[in-house]
Amino acid sequence: MHQAIFEEEYLLADGPERVNVVGEKLMGRTLMKHGTDEQRARWLPRILSAEDVWSQGFSEPDAGSDLANVQTKALREGDEWIVDGQKIWTSYGAFADWIFVLVRTDPNAERHRGLSFLAVDMRSDGVEARPIVQLDGHAGFAEVFFTSVRVPVSQTIGDANDGWTVALSTLGFERDAPARPAARYERDLRELIAVARARDVWDDPVVRDAIGGLAARVETYRLHTLRTLTRLQRGESIGDDASVTKLLWSELERDIYEYGMSLLGPYAGALSDTPAAASFDTRYWYARAATIYAGTSEIQNNIVAERILGLPR
Amino acid sequence: MIDFDFTDEQRALRDVARDLFAKQSPPSLIRERWKGERDPKLWRALAEVGLLGVIVPEQYGGSGGDEVDLALVLEEAGRAALPEPFVETVVASRLIELHGSKVLSESWLPGIARGEVVATVGLETDPFVAYADVADLVVLIDTSGARLLTRDDVKAKPVRSQDPARPLFAVESKRGERLNLTTPLSRAAAAVASVQLGIARRLLEMTVDYAKDRKQFGKPVGSFQAVKHKLARVHTAIEDARPSAWYAAYAFARDLPDAARAASVAKVAASGAEAMANAEALQCHGGIGFTWEHDLHIWLKRGLALQPAFGTPAEHRAMLAREEAADA
Repeated sequence: MHQAIFEEEYLLADGPERVNVVGEKLMGRTLMKHGTDEQRARWLPRILSAEDVWSQGFSEPDAGSDLANVQTKALREGDEWIVDGQKIWTSYGAFADWIFVLVRTDPNAERHRGLSFLAVDMRSDGVEARPIVQLDGHAGFAEVFFTSVRVPVSQTIGDANDGWTVALSTLGFERDAPARPAARYERDLRELIAVARARDVWDDPVVRDAIGGLAARVETYRLHTLRTLTRLQRGESIGDDASVTKLLWSELERDIYEYGMSLLGPYAGALSDTPAAASFDTRYWYARAATIYAGTSEIQNNIVAERILGLPR
Repeated sequence: MIDFDFTDEQRALRDVARDLFAKQSPPSLIRERWKGERDPKLWRALAEVGLLGVIVPEQYGGSGGDEVDLALVLEEAGRAALPEPFVETVVASRLIELHGSKVLSESWLPGIARGEVVATVGLETDPFVAYADVADLVVLIDTSGARLLTRDDVKAKPVRSQDPARPLFAVESKRGERLNLTTPLSRAAAAVASVQLGIARRLLEMTVDYAKDRKQFGKPVGSFQAVKHKLARVHTAIEDARPSAWYAAYAFARDLPDAARAASVAKVAASGAEAMANAEALQCHGGIGFTWEHDLHIWLKRGLALQPAFGTPAEHRAMLAREEAADA
């Protein structure tokens, strides 16, 4: 709850994106749920102080939507795992200190059961991060290669071979409401209205209709997050409902920025000298990624259909 | 501490309503109503379990509850496509009470709670009023209040209605009694939003059941992603809209300054979810859904009928944009 209030004020004050969101919102919460006392004491304070920047290592070239197909493997040797393989689209991977990875530790088990969740120091021997330039020109994520990387077994989060359970928790945190406060969309909506005014179309009833519709969606999403916070406060597990939440915020975000681009009219093609805020272009493109990362809309729809509505696989 | 949820009592009341509607208002009864036959037994049953007096103050024979107590009951009324002016009567009773005249409340509210007085609500600007044939009271809303008309003040001429279980009437009326009210239209819109969400939920339930059962290419059609994703989107739209209808109910119950805005948000969101459910339910049922014999169109038509009720979605979007303009 305190976190939710902080986020709301932070966003309304136009605070910049924090470099350690992966640590704060994903690894931190995963440690709270699955970590040992020692693991929490070791990493949580350094996440909060942003001394350790974390990256997320789930996807691989052949494990995107089919995440359980991860091929990066870790073999046990005494008190260490020897990790070999490749991760991709690792958020903040270009400059993170630590990365959490989902790796295969039992090649003979059923594919969801042979996985483990490890925390890996990016400065370990055999870790190589190659930044990937995103289509908006920024280099945020990276390919990360692991060549015989030695990772202490004490850095396994949850039980060995039970990494799928841990990863599902992490994905739940990434999809769920606390990771995506509604205030940012209230801020975005105000920006759209500013653009509409600057373009002198704010009195156009067609524009009003679209803005009114987006205002309703921003507010329903805000109320949806309050409902979720109520459930979390009571210790309820959100489970598959996080997929509903993820569909809501990612598509709201996409639609806000797509409409913003259409409001810009001829300025949509320009990266400077436009009536929009300087970061508009980056946020527009990043909103286009929102329906892909943290599980595509198609995967979320499968989860809703199969696990919530009970439709057959 | 945020407490965005219902109490156990409110859920229990929902269960009472759900059971009663399932037993006493099955599709067969709705089809009777289509033929113009109204069995007053159903209305009496609503009164007997107290549903007509939920928001009537105790001094007038009700249980003194508020809009939040009613929100889940209204969803159930939609789920059942209740062929009665239930949402209209509860909204009318609240508007009469809010006008603040003791005489009026004493005259009408006890009868409403007992099920002896049926009421309906319409807009001065709308050409038609639903259920004017059975209504003892008609409340006609305008921007700053309403007129209260009794049966004798009203001449109701039936029109052919899309949903014959929610029959529309062209109404000619005498002057009636003036009710001073703030945001009466928003109150009605908020209540109808909950009904729309119940309709949407029922359409989804029927379609999910059908998609699990109906086989093509040797498999249930619900195993195909093209079908799954439609239904997942409907579920998501309904769950998106529900908290907004609940919040609108809460805002009116607590007389919050953003109640009118909350009502517009709820009406836009619920109408959107219902329209999506309406479209995909028929599409996923295929040919059988397009028949008179299948019950699906009971909900398709109620859904259609409520889209424009108490402000079209476009009118509510325009109201929201005006609010944004005032804020920005």
